[in-house]
Amino acid sequence: MATVTAAPALSRWINDRPAQAGPATWTVEGQTVREVLDRLFEQQQQLRGYVLDEQGQVRHHVAVFVDGIAIDDKRSLATPVTPQSEIYLFQALSGG
Amino acid sequence: MADRMLVSTRKGLFTITRGGSNGWKSDAPAFLGENVTLTFRDPRSGRMHAALNLGHFGVKRHISDDDGDNWSEASVPTYEEHDQIITGDGKEPEPAALKLLWALEAGGDDQPGRLWAGTGPGGLFRSDDDGETWTLVRSMWDRDERKNWFGGGYDWPAIHSICIDPGNSRSIRVAVSCGGAWISNDDGESWELGTGMKADFMPPDRTEDPTIQDPHRMVQCPSAPRHLWVQHHCGIFRSTDGGRSWSDVPAAKPSGFGFAVAVHPTRPETAWFVPAVKDACRVPVDGRFVVSRTRDGGESFDVLSDGLPPAPAWDLVYRHGLAVDETGEELAMGSTTGGLWFSDDQGDRWTCLSQHLPPVNAVCFV
Repeated sequence: MATVTAAPALSRWINDRPAQAGPATWTVEGQTVREVLDRLFEQQQQLRGYVLDEQGQVRHHVAVFVDGIAIDDKRSLATPVTPQSEIYLFQALSGG
Repeated sequence: MADRMLVSTRKGLFTITRGGSNGWKSDAPAFLGENVTLTFRDPRSGRMHAALNLGHFGVKRHISDDDGDNWSEASVPTYEEHDQIITGDGKEPEPAALKLLWALEAGGDDQPGRLWAGTGPGGLFRSDDDGETWTLVRSMWDRDERKNWFGGGYDWPAIHSICIDPGNSRSIRVAVSCGGAWISNDDGESWELGTGMKADFMPPDRTEDPTIQDPHRMVQCPSAPRHLWVQHHCGIFRSTDGGRSWSDVPAAKPSGFGFAVAVHPTRPETAWFVPAVKDACRVPVDGRFVVSRTRDGGESFDVLSDGLPPAPAWDLVYRHGLAVDETGEELAMGSTTGGLWFSDDQGDRWTCLSQHLPPVNAVCFV
C-alpha cells in the first residue's frame, strides 16, 4: 500500500488532532493518485475539501509529490503509484 | 448599545469588548495567523459564523454557539460540476469553485434556519437548515446577464452585499462587484436590475449598463428599507425606491471614491463614507484620513477627522470595514494598515483603539 503524508500545515486542520502532532501519515491502496486519495478521503472525509476543490481538482496552492516528483495532472490525478510509493501533500509556497 | 465588536483581519479574528483604558479591550484572538474575511452573528440564534480563506486549503466556515469561546468547522457553499465562471472581460471560462465568502446574512424572523451567502465567483447561496446545506440560487446564476459580470479587485465577480428587508424577508437586495445591484421581491425566485449607476471607465455605450456596475458596498436603512446607499467604483449613489433606480450624489467630498458605507438605522438620510482619491490611486486625499458624513440625503457632507491620525496617513478602509451600531450613535472602523477607531457621537470624534492590528477585512458590532 502507498504511504500518504500530509504536512503539518495541512494535518493541523484535521479535527481532534493535537495541534502540535506534526505530519499525518496513512497507508492506502490504489493504482493511481486518484484512487489512493479517493480511498484516503473515505477515511478522512474532512481532508477532501482541503486538498481538492469541489470540482475534484487539486487546489491551486496545494502540491502533490509522488516519490519526490510533483504531479502535473492536478485535475485527472492519473499518475500511477506502486505499493512502495510515498505521496506527500503539502502547501505550495506560492499561496503563503 | 453593543458590548463587543468583531474585527476580522488578515491574521485572525479579534474580539474587542467594553472595558480598558480607552473604553475597550481586546480578547485573545481566534484563528491567529489565518485570513478571516468576515464574521457574522445571527441575531436570531446568537450563533457566530467566521469565514476563513486559508489560501492553500480553500475557504472554510467555522461556527460558535458560545460567543466565540469554541469554534467548529461547518459546511461551505459549493458549486456543481458543470458550473463555470464566465466573465464579460474576455477571460477564458473556468470551472466554478468557491474562492471567497464575502457576505453572510440571516433570513427573517419568520424564516428559521434561513441564511444567505454571497461568494466569489459570484454565486448567491441559500440555506434553510442553518448552514448544514447550501443551494446555489440558480434564478440569478443562470441569468444571461451574468456573462457580462467581471472581477472587481479579484479575477472573478463576487457578491459582497445582501440586504434583507426587515419588514418583508422575501424582499432581497444583492450587490455584485462587478455585476450591478439586484432586486428580488419573491424570496429569490426572480430578479430585476437596478438602473442609474454609471461606470465611467467603460466604453461610452456601456457606462450605464446595469449588468456591469461595480457597487463596492450597498447598505439598506433598516427602518426605511426603500432607502439604500451604494459606494460605487465611480461615486456615491442613493436609491429611495428600494433599489430600482439610483441617483448620483455629486456633493460627496473630499472625493466620491471609496469602498465602505454605513447608514443610520433610523434616519435614512444619514450615511458615512471613507473616501480615497480615485480608483487609480486608492489612498486618502492629500494623505488626510477622514470620514465623510451626510445628514441630508447627500445634499451636503461633513468631513470628520477629530481623533483620526494627522496627515500623512495612508489608511484605507475596505467595504466591510465600517460599521454603525443599532442606535446609530456608535461607529467602528478598521483599516488595511491595522488601525481601529471608535466613535460614540456619529463620527464627530474618534478614539483610536489600536494602530497595530493586522490588515482589517471587516468590522461589526454584536
